[in-house]
Amino acid sequence: MITWIIVGVVAIVAIVFFTYYNRFVTLKNQIANSLAQINVQLKKRADLVPNLLASVKGYMKHEKSVIKEVTEARKALVGAKTIDKKVAAGNQLQSALKSIFAIAENYPNLKANETFLHLQQELSAIEDKVAYARQYYNDGVMSFNTLSQTVPGVWFASLYGFKGKEYLQITEAEKKVPKVKF
Amino acid sequence: MTSQRISFHDEIARNKRKSVFLIVCVLAVLFLLVYVIGLATGPDYFFMVLIFGTILSLVYVVGGFYNSDKLAVASAGAKKADPVKYRMYYNIVEGLALASGLKMPKLYIIDNSQINAFASGRDPGHAVVCVTRGAIEKLEKRELEGVIAHELSHIANYDIRFMTLVAVLVGMISIISQIFLRSLFWGSLGGGGGRDKSKMIFMLIGIALAILAPIVVMFVQLSISRKREYAADSSAVKFMRTPTGLIGALEKIKSNRPLKVSGAIAPLFLANPGKTKEMFMTHPPLEKRIEKLEKM
Repeated sequence: MITWIIVGVVAIVAIVFFTYYNRFVTLKNQIANSLAQINVQLKKRADLVPNLLASVKGYMKHEKSVIKEVTEARKALVGAKTIDKKVAAGNQLQSALKSIFAIAENYPNLKANETFLHLQQELSAIEDKVAYARQYYNDGVMSFNTLSQTVPGVWFASLYGFKGKEYLQITEAEKKVPKVKF
Repeated sequence: MTSQRISFHDEIARNKRKSVFLIVCVLAVLFLLVYVIGLATGPDYFFMVLIFGTILSLVYVVGGFYNSDKLAVASAGAKKADPVKYRMYYNIVEGLALASGLKMPKLYIIDNSQINAFASGRDPGHAVVCVTRGAIEKLEKRELEGVIAHELSHIANYDIRFMTLVAVLVGMISIISQIFLRSLFWGSLGGGGGRDKSKMIFMLIGIALAILAPIVVMFVQLSISRKREYAADSSAVKFMRTPTGLIGALEKIKSNRPLKVSGAIAPLFLANPGKTKEMFMTHPPLEKRIEKLEKM
């Protein structure tokens, strides 16, 4: 009888240990995956930019500075190595693109161009997707941090050596509305 | 009035808790029914009924469960959405799939000018989302996003699986009741003669239960369905971080004529396809849903 009780208790303790380990690993993988999703969207954005510039160039002859800004932001995005830098460069590119779309309002021919309209729609969809992917990333970080800071998760976190994760913040540059000169 | 605001996290948890409580009620009715029939008829007959009822109900519902995506699409007359023509639809679903961490579902269109939508499939890997042509034409982008977020919530909350479980239990209760009542009618139980009084009493209770239980659990089933709708509304707010899109869509549906669909797939849709009293509905009334969303 006593042996069975001991076996039962050991089994329950083992299950608790395994469950917590698995919960941490699941959340970690979810966070890693959502980071990869952000990367995918940023890459798509960088890939679409040359097409956009090609479709715009014929119309926007006098908007060299904006086009240059976009080209450089894209270069920074492609060259960025860490996720923080990528996200920052992605934001830069986003705001540069916003200027292009704002200026495009002054060019009726461009606004009637189907390729341009398609690219505009795709790029704005990517903007939504980047925001959603970041939101999911932050949701994952929140679950992970809550689990690793509340009892009993906090004991298991220190036992298994899991550390808290950082949120992806909105940068100062992103909070500003892009300025458009006419 | 910040204290009156409801957090979507609490609201999702509350509705899930309520629906789990209701499923426990259905289980309780099932056990009571089985127990009373057992007392009234004796163990041999009783086990036969129980096993027979379980197998029938499982076969019937699980068959539907495994093909839930195909059945729903076929009976709604939906067609695959063309990724080029419905680019915005695809973009919205891709974005919300990222927000919810779900796999990209298969997308379908119903050629109908009413605004409605549904989701089906036994798990997120086999999910389908379907919207009417009217929803795409009449809703603003944010509103369509709200509608699709609601549908993806059903997938993320495993509602199809949950409602299938409920349907299996409800099916068992109705099949067991049917078998019991019919066997009384055929007189297969009556031959014994010389039964004592207590058995007679259990027989009467059994008959009353067999008639009432299926009706009671049907209402419980509908109530569970409404709880899951509220939960899906709240989850949609969680994905979009704003209720305005869904509120706008529900307002537009309110002023629209209802969509006619077959009764079997009605529970899947975004809003109740017909007009009935709340008690008989698979969905809560639009007014109540909007009111709750506005508090978030």
